[in-house]
Amino acid sequence: MMQSVLSTMVKAAAVLAVAGMLQPVSAESANPAKKWTIGMSQCNLGEPWRVQMNADVKKAAEAHPELHVIFKDAQNDTLKQRAHVEEFVAANVDLIIISPKEAQPLTPPVVAAMHAGIPVIVLDRRVVGDKYTCFIGADNKKIGQAAGRWIVQKLGGKGTIVELKGLMTSTPGQDRNSGFREGIKGSDLKVIFDVDMKWLEPNARKEMESALSRFSDISLVYAHNDPGAHGAWLAAKAAGREKNILFVGIDALPQEGQAYVKQGILTASFEYPTGGREAIENGLKILNGEKIEKEIVLPSRVFTAETVDKGGEWLK
Amino acid sequence: MKSWFRHPFARAMAALALVLLLGFIFNADGAFFKWGTHSDMYRAISVYGILACGMTMVIIIGGIDLGVGSILGLSAVLFSLLAIRQGWPPWMAIPATLMAGAVCGLAAGGLIARFRVQPFIATLAMMVFARGLAKWISGGQKISTVIQKANGDFMNVPVPAVFDQLGAKILHGNLAVVTVIFLISIMVCWIILTKLRWGRFMYAIGGNEEAARLSGIPVWAMKLLAYGLSGLFCAVAGICQAAQELQGDPEAGVSYELTAIAIVVIGGTSLAGGRGGIGLTLLGALTIGYLEKILSINAVGEAARLMLTGVIIVGAVLFQRMRK
Amino acid sequence: MPCLEANSNSIPPAAEMPLVEMSGIGKTFAGVRVLEDVRFELSPGEVHVLAGENGAGKSTLMKILCGVYPDYEGEIRLAGRPVRFKSPHDAFRHGIAVIHQEIALIPDLSVVDNIFLGREPVRRGGWLDRSGQRTKAREILDQLGLDLDERQPAGDFSVAIRQMIGIAKALTFAAEVIIMDEPTATLNGPEAERLFTLIARLKAQGRGIIYISHKMEEIYRLGDRATVLRDGRFINTARLPDLPEEEFIRWLVGRKLDQQFPPRRASPGATRLEVTGFPLPNPAGSRNNVGAGVTFRVAAGEILGFAGLQGSGNSELFHGLFGACGDEVGDSVMLDGRPFRSVSPAYSLRHGVALLTNDRKGNGLVPALSTARNITLAALKKFSPRGWLRPKSEQEAAATQRDALNIRVASLDQEVGELSGGNQQKVVLAKWLETAPKVLLLDEPTRGVDIGAKHEIYELMNRLTATGISILLITSEMPELLALADRILVMHRGRIVAEFDRTVATPEKIAHAAMGE
Repeated sequence: MMQSVLSTMVKAAAVLAVAGMLQPVSAESANPAKKWTIGMSQCNLGEPWRVQMNADVKKAAEAHPELHVIFKDAQNDTLKQRAHVEEFVAANVDLIIISPKEAQPLTPPVVAAMHAGIPVIVLDRRVVGDKYTCFIGADNKKIGQAAGRWIVQKLGGKGTIVELKGLMTSTPGQDRNSGFREGIKGSDLKVIFDVDMKWLEPNARKEMESALSRFSDISLVYAHNDPGAHGAWLAAKAAGREKNILFVGIDALPQEGQAYVKQGILTASFEYPTGGREAIENGLKILNGEKIEKEIVLPSRVFTAETVDKGGEWLK
Repeated sequence: MKSWFRHPFARAMAALALVLLLGFIFNADGAFFKWGTHSDMYRAISVYGILACGMTMVIIIGGIDLGVGSILGLSAVLFSLLAIRQGWPPWMAIPATLMAGAVCGLAAGGLIARFRVQPFIATLAMMVFARGLAKWISGGQKISTVIQKANGDFMNVPVPAVFDQLGAKILHGNLAVVTVIFLISIMVCWIILTKLRWGRFMYAIGGNEEAARLSGIPVWAMKLLAYGLSGLFCAVAGICQAAQELQGDPEAGVSYELTAIAIVVIGGTSLAGGRGGIGLTLLGALTIGYLEKILSINAVGEAARLMLTGVIIVGAVLFQRMRK
Repeated sequence: MPCLEANSNSIPPAAEMPLVEMSGIGKTFAGVRVLEDVRFELSPGEVHVLAGENGAGKSTLMKILCGVYPDYEGEIRLAGRPVRFKSPHDAFRHGIAVIHQEIALIPDLSVVDNIFLGREPVRRGGWLDRSGQRTKAREILDQLGLDLDERQPAGDFSVAIRQMIGIAKALTFAAEVIIMDEPTATLNGPEAERLFTLIARLKAQGRGIIYISHKMEEIYRLGDRATVLRDGRFINTARLPDLPEEEFIRWLVGRKLDQQFPPRRASPGATRLEVTGFPLPNPAGSRNNVGAGVTFRVAAGEILGFAGLQGSGNSELFHGLFGACGDEVGDSVMLDGRPFRSVSPAYSLRHGVALLTNDRKGNGLVPALSTARNITLAALKKFSPRGWLRPKSEQEAAATQRDALNIRVASLDQEVGELSGGNQQKVVLAKWLETAPKVLLLDEPTRGVDIGAKHEIYELMNRLTATGISILLITSEMPELLALADRILVMHRGRIVAEFDRTVATPEKIAHAAMGE
């Protein structure tokens, strides 16, 4: 029986592999009606947030039958991503959307694409210089700040905070930290414990356990992402203290942060928008010859128990 | 007492004592002296420890298993898919997941035993393959109780009871269920390695494979057994991980193989095979666990933590060799 | 010129300035006194045999001389000057070289590279002086009478040649003192002859050679003087030509051995093993049918000796019969009248056939396991009904074997890797005896074993055959073969070319047959 399961699995894998190889060709030939081809270069599909970004791009593009999007995943490899962009240029796509892994090494291929007359939308992370058509991204620092201010208000300006940082060697981690610290400045909020949890839920749980054993009084946990906040909640729950602590996270993906808010696990989750929908909308404008702004900072929403079912509340 | 056991065990104890001493000194305002701190650490190290159980047997037989982290991730995803999405009862979901883990281990073991692929290569391939499989069956998303409906909206289903049961703490919140599972895993390995013929065969194969073969020992079957059991323990660890996180994360277990190997080696089991034991692995797990815990309760920064961990691992290993 | 004459014919006089002078040497390991007031002296142009049972302290003494143990008591003088070596490298620089039993050459490097490994001569700017190396290597290889391509990887050559490459390596560094630790243990007749010729040349060049060996034949043939150690103490030094062998053995074992070989009383019974056209596996392990295969029969209680040069195929025959190479070979073997299939070691052991290989470190012992566990390893099923181990019955069985074979261990829990060569060999024997074999294939059972232990192994073989066990024996020591075997088969290139009864066999006849004449 085990053998048959295994052989079925192998067969399925083989069929899938073949199908995967054939896909771009058949899609192209089967849809002559598609007017425009967009190349979407994603740096890493290992993170749910980036999976969401691709999903947003796909969903937005499906609303426009004239668009055909080719997705490439660089699997966290700068050189691979560079090759992907060059392939797009060679294939002469009509527009490139790139969410680059790193700024410096991915600037030359983007510049080359621009020289070849292909407009480029840069998503989330930047490239060096101004040789791109449009940058769309959110501002981690502003989101951190907003979270800080919101927390000050929520706690009435007083309380003890545990900050579970993403990774202080990464820009989002630094910005979510410094923004938050600016946001709570002037209040009586004290950060009593702050450590890196490397964006990972199991780590967040371990660190929170340490915080719990050290401090008997914790008002709120501010985690740099929702899984981090969720891990902290699990730790508090195991210690029977989850009712006395508030949990705030960032990202607000529908299946993570928003769902946790709905379940009453998180008090609030701050959206870090993927910009997938906006990329397609602005891309369409570019392709239609409309003028658009070069820098688009995405607005962000906060989801709380009251607002989560209404699609959150826009931050100012 | 067995002579191979006596000295390494004492040395592993000494290394652990040294780390504990650090805890006494840097006790984070007394947090180190609370039972909860220790119980938390036992919970946190349990998943790694379960992986290290299988790893111990594989290393004793003269191999290495780099696939454990990925098989853990695959098992966590599979278990969540079956228990949450498919609604399978635990008595079906757990054996199915265990079987899948064992099959992964057996596949790597088969490559090693029958086709003489180097353990490093075969399990490296399994590490990549199992991770890919985990991502494929999960669609790259965490498998949680939040489910996307056909229209794109999300709905929330209740957490299956088995997750809460396995993720809970018993004895008035003093002992995690996963820690109990870890201790049972240690017991199982201890029985296999010291009480059964199989264990003796594993030591013999790791100590001198050709001599073992000429002594009529079924070398390839034993290798299959060791890697299969390692895969099984990975599945146990994966189920524990999913139960604790209330979800199956396809990224779960990334780089766990390194921690598992570190636990085994710090305990004093020889990477060359043929020497070591499961008791040492238990001590190794405690040493690594306490080290992490002490760094954590003192809120040491990530960079310093990595450097300190490196230094202390080397220190512990050197300390164990000091006797000579 | 009388002076010159005297020097060239006679044994070098000890009166001239010795190359090496060790006096009052003592050494303690973890509270155990292993050497006590030992003295040793080596003259230029001398082969000085260092003899003693395993564990007598020979190796320790030599390790002190070549810098492995820097802390010892006593004094070493080199050409009259007191020295104290801090490391093997230090000793090496002072002209002391060791040729080990297992020579440490890197198989994938060329002969030249191996010779100069670790001390590559360089030109200005740190570039390797390749052509200079080759010239120098060639020169030395010629000196040794070694005609080989120095650019070939060292691993391509036989053990004997590799050993000589090791010697060449020592000579390039102008070694004055060469320590040879059982250099012929892995060599066959002609190979050993080459080594002996080489030793004669080194002597003629005025170098001193310390020669460690258990083989009486070569000790008397090569040695000028012999020093005997026993239990870490100096027993005596004597000129070998003046020392009767009986006396020498008495110094070695501390008592009088009646005879080196116990008397053999054979009483062969019914046919035990019948081999017809058995195809030999090649050394790589796969089967290739060389010629028509091998045909012979052994009776119960008989010792059947196998002679032949290295590569004659007798080791391969043993491996093949034991099933160590896998693959089934049809119905060419009958054991007690029933077909025996040489498919796997497990099958052979189940049916009462056991193989003691000629490489106990490589595939005989599991060094990290205890003595008791090595003894029970091949018969573990007996001690683990339904898979559960019975440590108590294991210990009892191991203790029985220990007493029967006189294995000297501090405890049965001692790791077998820590035992001396002779005791290790007895442990391997005990392991096979524990499987209650009907046929014992013994490939060099006394290799690297001291005289006392050898004697015990001979006696054991007699006892075993008296109980009806058949023994197939390979040994490269001619006296052993002649004294033990009831019949002798000679193999050459994978075929049996001659058969002698013990009553008619002579070394000459066997040697001729072995060379295919």
